[in-house]
Amino acid sequence: MNGKPGNLEVVLEKKARFVDPAKCTGCGTCLDVCPIRYQVQLPDDKARARAAYAKATDELVVTGIIARHRDERGNLLPILLDINRHFNWLPRPALEQVSDELKMPLAEILRVASFYNAFSLVPRGKYIINVCLGTGCFVKGSPRLLEALERALHIKHGQTTEDMLFTLEVVRCIGCCALAPAMRVGEDTFGRLTPAMIPRILKSYAESYGRDEAEEEAAG
Amino acid sequence: MKLRTLEQLEDLKKKGLALTYPDKLKIMVGMATCGISAGADKVFEALQAKITELGVDAVLEKTGCIGFCQREPLVDVVYPKKVRLSYQAMTPEKAAALVEALKKGEVYPENLLCRIDQEDFLVEGQVRPYANPHPPDLGVEAPRYEDLPFFGKQVKIALRNCGFIHPERIEEYIARGGYQALHRALTGLTPEEVISEVKSSGLRGRGGAGFPTGLKWEFARKNDSDEKYVICNADEGDPGAFMDRGILEGDPHAVIEGMAIGAYAIGAQEGYIYCRAEYPLAIHRLKIAIKQAEDLGLLGDKIFGSNFSFKLMIREGAGAFVCGEETSLIASIEGKVGEPRPRPPFPAQSGLWGKPTVINNVKTWSHIAPIIMRGAEWYSGFGTDKAPGTTVFALVGKVNNTGLVEIPLGMTLREMIFDIGGGIAGGRQFKAVQTGGPSGGCIPEEFLDTPVDYESLGALGSIMGSGGMIVMDERDCMVNVAKYFIDFTKDESCGKCTPCREGTLRLGEMLEAVTEGKASEEDLDKLVKMSELIKKTSLCGLGQTAPNPVLSTIRYFRDEYLAHVRDHKCPAKVCKPLISFHIIEDLCTGCQLCRLKCPAEAVEGAKKEPHRIIQEKCIKCGTCYEGCKFDAVVVD
Repeated sequence: MNGKPGNLEVVLEKKARFVDPAKCTGCGTCLDVCPIRYQVQLPDDKARARAAYAKATDELVVTGIIARHRDERGNLLPILLDINRHFNWLPRPALEQVSDELKMPLAEILRVASFYNAFSLVPRGKYIINVCLGTGCFVKGSPRLLEALERALHIKHGQTTEDMLFTLEVVRCIGCCALAPAMRVGEDTFGRLTPAMIPRILKSYAESYGRDEAEEEAAG
Repeated sequence: MKLRTLEQLEDLKKKGLALTYPDKLKIMVGMATCGISAGADKVFEALQAKITELGVDAVLEKTGCIGFCQREPLVDVVYPKKVRLSYQAMTPEKAAALVEALKKGEVYPENLLCRIDQEDFLVEGQVRPYANPHPPDLGVEAPRYEDLPFFGKQVKIALRNCGFIHPERIEEYIARGGYQALHRALTGLTPEEVISEVKSSGLRGRGGAGFPTGLKWEFARKNDSDEKYVICNADEGDPGAFMDRGILEGDPHAVIEGMAIGAYAIGAQEGYIYCRAEYPLAIHRLKIAIKQAEDLGLLGDKIFGSNFSFKLMIREGAGAFVCGEETSLIASIEGKVGEPRPRPPFPAQSGLWGKPTVINNVKTWSHIAPIIMRGAEWYSGFGTDKAPGTTVFALVGKVNNTGLVEIPLGMTLREMIFDIGGGIAGGRQFKAVQTGGPSGGCIPEEFLDTPVDYESLGALGSIMGSGGMIVMDERDCMVNVAKYFIDFTKDESCGKCTPCREGTLRLGEMLEAVTEGKASEEDLDKLVKMSELIKKTSLCGLGQTAPNPVLSTIRYFRDEYLAHVRDHKCPAKVCKPLISFHIIEDLCTGCQLCRLKCPAEAVEGAKKEPHRIIQEKCIKCGTCYEGCKFDAVVVD
């Protein structure tokens, strides 16, 4: 290194490697073997402060989920699935907690979370409606079923109603092809549907939700 | 208790037989996902309530799916040492009436599907008649199980126990010869002998590609490694297919036993079942089954006192179709993004965590135990020379009898659709049959006499695939079907390689233009050219086969494409931009049904006077067309 401040000349001895885009086949081998990638680059404490959970008990739930899978190899997916099942989506603080505890960059986790259809990065409603668009249901008219649901709920698929009661999603086959067209609401499966049956089904869920709420209030 | 000897297994078998065939009345309800969605849970509750109310001395059980989904909910009544009767399309009311009849000692005559006089104990090669020596006269008319074309033409090997045992009870699986094959393999055969038996049976991968299973095992066996793995691919992503779900929900131990034998053969100590999260019941039943097998020492350390130990784990998918591709599936188990990688190296060389791995489909695994028990020669007696054995299809779409069917390979498509399937529903005209899911193609009527096997279907531009068989009739638009599949692969493309990611997007846009009547004849050639390009240049099976639905529909239904681009008409009257609904005044009685049902308020007209559709408001949902009792609504 020579020169004076303001006009320095530096000779770099160790250079960073770059990928030559012209030659890269996108095979991902360099990504897999890079040792730095899986080291968490810890920022200072202030920047590390995690987003807050909606409820104080949530953190314990996530801690429990992580503890359950800690010794498994390749445990990211089972952990995210359990979190997703508990909250109905993947809240930011939970992902940050997973990142800290598994010592895995948040970006890596978000890459997995955004790849798989089962995960949602936005809050979803209490009941998730999955309209089957498998081939069996498709030829038996499930697109019309979906349209009827969109009209009844005043949302498009992928969206959630304002009261956070229903989220409308499409699924590529739930394996009920012989009873097409089919859909799933929460954990219940319905087969041999017609668009005319939609309002009654939605109403029964809205009512049972109303009952649950009333009971909770009475109990609480 | 841990099972160590054959005697202990036989003892448990006796217990299992007593459970499966009790000395009193037994009522069974088919409670797989399909049955439950058809209302089997309500039927079960009604039966339970009535049995308690009347104090009937009977056992009430849940079983898996016997395959005849069309007729669900199915209820079976087993009269000890007499006969088993199958009832179809049951309702809670009829279920109550059934119990009342039983209380009176009568045979309930309604909704009878068939009578079963004997059961096939396939693994042991025995037939177990209910009554000895002669089937009793019931005083009611019921066809025999074997005489129904739906069942009679099937050969059930993978589905041997589905609908006959309680899937959550390992004793009942053992009662029908379960875990005998594992015992034989571990105590009497070397790993090489197991492989050679599977090899000479000619079993080929039932996931669709048809690679010889024994050969795959041999590769993995020969690769020296301290760790090896077996994986069961239960990521049944093909839309319109539910064979794997049927097996896992109806007979999970068949898969577990097959995997244990496979692990012994290649020298693996651990295994994974990768099941899609959309099948909660299958995962639930698998967990129970694994726990039971562990408790009996059929999984775990030193199975049957041998030196072979095997641990089995379940991994849930997270809704990515591409994870059905083996290298993606392995990446997903490793906790990574499910993207494929180029082969070689094949998983048998370097698979899970870089170790030799054998990955087979649910159906393939469930064939293993019978092959070991009955021998390669017996197995290869079914099917054709090049493709021995049987395979399971999910027969769905516009056929009368939808359901899960297992056929010897080489049966013609016509036999499957018109004999087993009972022809096209509603007396309409057959148009095409689609096999192989999004990787397959549509086969027209003139090729209905083609035998079902890997090579014959491949020659038609389709593939055998994992077993989805969707029948389409004259009301299905083939352009729309091609667009549907491309939409699917476009959504499910992982995005790693450009031909698949961009190509399916462009194909989708071009097909969209065709269905809107905005394309020209030259565009059809462009579609073909681009499809060929995607096939040649994509990284994995998803992209390499994604254009098949487009190519096969253009090949066999070119006139339908031409009608869209030349005349701007959709012959099947499906593509919304090309159709309109009208009411024929002379036929309309003014009953008001369509006006009340129309979600867009696009029908006008006074009571008892002909109605009219306001085209500007019409959203073309078809409600009026399907609701009209006088056929006064027409589509142009």
